[in-house]
Amino acid sequence: MTQRRFAAILLAPAFLLVAFTTVYPMVTSLWTSLHVLNLAKSVQLGAFVGLENYQEAFVHDLEFWGVMRVTAVFVVLDVSLTILCALGIAMLLLRAGFGKSIVRTLIILPFAMSPALIGISWRFMLNPDYGAFARTIAAIFPAMRNVDYLASPTLSMMALVSADVWHWAPYFAFMLMGGLAAIPPETQEAARIDGASNWRVFRDVTLPQLAPVLIVAIILKSVFALKVFDSIVTMTAGGPGHSTTTLGFFAYHIGFRNYDFGYAAAVAYILTGILFLLSLSYMRFAFRK
Amino acid sequence: MTVIAHQASVAAAAAIRRRTSRQRKRAFLRVAEQLVLVLLAVIILFPIVWMVMTAFKSPRDVYVYTMWFQPTLENFSEVFNPRWRIREKIINSIVISVTTVIIAMPIAVFAAYAFSRLAFPMKRAMFQWILLTQFIPAVTIVLPFYVMFRQLGLLDTYAALIIVDLAIVLPYAIWTIKGFIDAIPLETEEAAIVDGAGRFRVLWDIVVPMARPGILTAAIFCFIITWNEFLFGYLLSRQNVVPLSVGIVGFVLERGPVWELIAATGIIITIPMFFFAMMIQRHFTKGMNLGAVR
Repeated sequence: MTQRRFAAILLAPAFLLVAFTTVYPMVTSLWTSLHVLNLAKSVQLGAFVGLENYQEAFVHDLEFWGVMRVTAVFVVLDVSLTILCALGIAMLLLRAGFGKSIVRTLIILPFAMSPALIGISWRFMLNPDYGAFARTIAAIFPAMRNVDYLASPTLSMMALVSADVWHWAPYFAFMLMGGLAAIPPETQEAARIDGASNWRVFRDVTLPQLAPVLIVAIILKSVFALKVFDSIVTMTAGGPGHSTTTLGFFAYHIGFRNYDFGYAAAVAYILTGILFLLSLSYMRFAFRK
Repeated sequence: MTVIAHQASVAAAAAIRRRTSRQRKRAFLRVAEQLVLVLLAVIILFPIVWMVMTAFKSPRDVYVYTMWFQPTLENFSEVFNPRWRIREKIINSIVISVTTVIIAMPIAVFAAYAFSRLAFPMKRAMFQWILLTQFIPAVTIVLPFYVMFRQLGLLDTYAALIIVDLAIVLPYAIWTIKGFIDAIPLETEEAAIVDGAGRFRVLWDIVVPMARPGILTAAIFCFIITWNEFLFGYLLSRQNVVPLSVGIVGFVLERGPVWELIAATGIIITIPMFFFAMMIQRHFTKGMNLGAVR
């Protein structure tokens, strides 16, 4: 048996499965987005409407740009806070020491929890009357007493971001620890002997060498942020109003609440396009030799 | 003489002062570091501990902001009250996750071996393409599958959920296992080929046993992913195959969500995952960041 034929036999099942579970729905989604399909009226694909569903999003739907803004705010806040926290945790836990190995084990816990469960727990703990978060914050800042977090557009966005940061920061801390450990310590020692302060060593020596890993982490986290869904469902349901409705949740809402699958497919495809661009840049950075 | 001696003693005193100030600064930093460490532990543990406590609270204590209460196991027996159908949801989750892993593993091992050891055209592009499918948002996948499953009468069946779960799990599995096979030295395989062993023999008798830790790590990863999977379960199940991860939102009565039961179910969902995550802690980043740190 030639090597090529053997490879073809070994790869066939994986390729058939990936093609069926991703290529097929991608093509069908694209096709659907060019048609009318409202499941409330008919299960059959309706008239071909060209780019009208996309036009609906970009031109006619007043909610769409609000959702885009919410998505942008969420991604920027979520990614920057997650990566900053992860970097801090990674620097803190890198060197061995008492207590650190315990904390290093502890920080796996948030990651093993499902985002849906985290979302519902946050909703419980943010209840202004009996929620543990709300009451603790009120005890420290009396001005925050009786604040209903999930009823405020700004605060519910913060709540959603905090839950996602809590879930993901540990994972990215592990990733950055890997990057930090790969930096030869000599470079930092040399800078320190030359009299550089800790901050200068971090900014001018450590950070530039960590940059490749950091860029990959930022792209990857942006992708994860754009795909957030579970915690939105269980914590805010996209509200109040549309204040925590990101693009993915919006597509779900149009499809499974309004049954307008044609329009939902178009919105989902806009999200797919954004993610595709991000993934291309990820591939460029991650596979650079 | 005295001037020189004086100057020397001044210099020495300054040096000592400098050293003590540096020591003091270092001691301060060490204390600050410990404080941050404690704060970090508190932030991580607080929500978890609070949910665990809630699971052991009587309904009356759930609505009280306190850490002191009379613990009870009642919530755990109430969770298994047939009205909540939790037993079925646990079985659903186990069936879906185990079947997904059992189907995914051999397929992934085959593909990973091909990518790791064999030469064929377009290898790099094909590998990147498989990884790229990870970036497709689940919403895009679920819309057409919902329509298709509805037409085929497959909504609310195990088959539907297992098929879509395979889509998320397979690329991770291929990536993780490939990493492990890459690390196995070639000699044993070459020796076996020289001895005339068939290609499948080599794969099955030599590579699979040596890659066993990798296969196990990948299997656990995939199990965690499918066990915690929410979106597909939420949209493609109705009542017969609702997984536990979705079932947790079902604890709602007229008075609102029943937090103590949600917390108790949360513990049932999460404890096996904690255990699994600890088992593969070392490979935590290796398997999931898709080649970020190489």
